[in-house]
Amino acid sequence: MISRSALTRGSQLALRRAAAAKTAQRGFAVVASEKASYEPTDIAGIKVAARDDNSPVTRLAVVAKAGTRYEPLPGLTVGLEEFAFKNTYKRSAKRITRETELLGGQLQAYHTREAIVLQANFLREDLPYFTELLAEVISQTRYTTHEFHEEIEGTIHVKQERFSNASIAQDAAHTAAFHLGLGSPLYPTANTPVGPYMNEHNVAGFADAAYSKETIAVVADGASHAGLRKWIEPFFKGVSEKSSGELYTEASKYYGGEQRIAKTGQNSMVIAFPGSSLKDNKPETAVLVGLLGGESAVKWSTGFSLLAKIAANNFGTTASARNFAYSDTGLLTIQISGGNPQAVRKATKEAVDALKSLINGDIAKEDLVKAIAKAKFDLLSDSETGGVGLVHAGANLISGGSPLQVTEALKALESVTADKLKAAAKELLAGKASVAAVGDVWMLPFAEELGLNV
Amino acid sequence: MGYYYTLAPYIVKRPWLYKLVQPVAAWYQNLAGYRQMGLMCDDLINEEDEVVLKALKRLPEKVAYDRVYRLRRATQLSLSQKILPKEEWIKPEEDVPYLMPLIDQVYAEIQEEKALNNLEIIKKSKH
Repeated sequence: MISRSALTRGSQLALRRAAAAKTAQRGFAVVASEKASYEPTDIAGIKVAARDDNSPVTRLAVVAKAGTRYEPLPGLTVGLEEFAFKNTYKRSAKRITRETELLGGQLQAYHTREAIVLQANFLREDLPYFTELLAEVISQTRYTTHEFHEEIEGTIHVKQERFSNASIAQDAAHTAAFHLGLGSPLYPTANTPVGPYMNEHNVAGFADAAYSKETIAVVADGASHAGLRKWIEPFFKGVSEKSSGELYTEASKYYGGEQRIAKTGQNSMVIAFPGSSLKDNKPETAVLVGLLGGESAVKWSTGFSLLAKIAANNFGTTASARNFAYSDTGLLTIQISGGNPQAVRKATKEAVDALKSLINGDIAKEDLVKAIAKAKFDLLSDSETGGVGLVHAGANLISGGSPLQVTEALKALESVTADKLKAAAKELLAGKASVAAVGDVWMLPFAEELGLNV
Repeated sequence: MGYYYTLAPYIVKRPWLYKLVQPVAAWYQNLAGYRQMGLMCDDLINEEDEVVLKALKRLPEKVAYDRVYRLRRATQLSLSQKILPKEEWIKPEEDVPYLMPLIDQVYAEIQEEKALNNLEIIKKSKH
């Protein structure tokens, strides 16, 4: 016979076990309902932006002031990016790769116009190893001649071959808009003469200028503040205090103009206007981008946005608007690409007309609501899932600003009205435009035909 | 273990032995006669070898050019059964190992890769 007390004891045990399981699970639950913004701090003279959501994976990045706008000679940013995680004085590139593989980490190096990003994604408990690795890469890389010839040159050629006419058009629009600095191409094309400038010695000199405590920021997503404080200080001791070398640091100035490049393959037009920078955070620009739109976010629909409708009317073309935000300026671009030059020509004209009609015509309330929703989604999805939030946080820190505060930015977006949008569009069209055409330039329209001032 | 078998590191470490052997080595090197043909010691290394080929590619441009010049001059001398006039002989202080450090570097890289390919992973115990 089973005694009564034994039965109750079993149920007590079962209950206790369930409760214990619950407390064990609590570690994985996200405490705050809203994702926190990056908080800037200073650890041993290094600018650090960190946020911790207790995720099991950490993303740690060194963001350095070494994007293409700061390179003193063409191609150095790309060279420096390719030299990341190569032989150092302490260990070889092979060993770095193998050790990272064994820990299940990922190493990435990429650049924007303003920053070089060396990023490591890894499991939370491996923070010391990857902090040491990133510090070692920025302070002790050897920049050897044989690696430059055997590995880096080859990689650059392969990457150049994958270039699309659309990205060449974006570069051309930037060059027309900003000349040197922000105007230098994001990646030198195969036709760009970088031979006399890009070699291991110049890259090493550029590294001395770019990797110093005053020109880098460390951005951590998912690492504890205590851990960062403990490991950054000893490992980043070897990083030089002052930048010793030359960076191109002229302030950006908007010029505007026209660039036309004849090329086979796809046709691409870019119409650009001065946009909003990282600092001024003009919400109208973001909403205007949402309203112009382009790519459809849902399947089986062309989308509601102005550019999406135009792209749907001209078969085989794609159109999209984007605001490139930089530390001291910005560029709002409308890009139309497609295989058929006539369709691209027609779509470009329609896009400019649509922009002009924004000033005179009415903006439907429904469209405005959709555009604000799109702008909010872009802001949140950029700062949460992709690496963009991380890069923005770092780029803001190295240029002396502070990371984007998500809650305030969202509030600002909601306050945008139709009149404010009209004023913003009017201001764009009154100023000088930057127009780039790549592809069949005989067919693609000139800025003057489109009715834009250049 | 280096790329080739040698007693040199063992001897260099012991000054008394080095003092004893060095004159003999210098005499033998001179006797070998390659300096009279305008060659350096590292010019004699067998080229038909993966490691050496890779090391040769890493030579700076000027050094590689000079090496080819010395080799061609030596071939010409060999064909014409002559040696260089005495003032053009390679002097002992000019006879520097320009290729050997590169060979060691390439060899070390290959050894490291082999070691990494065969490494045994020991799982760290949970603290």
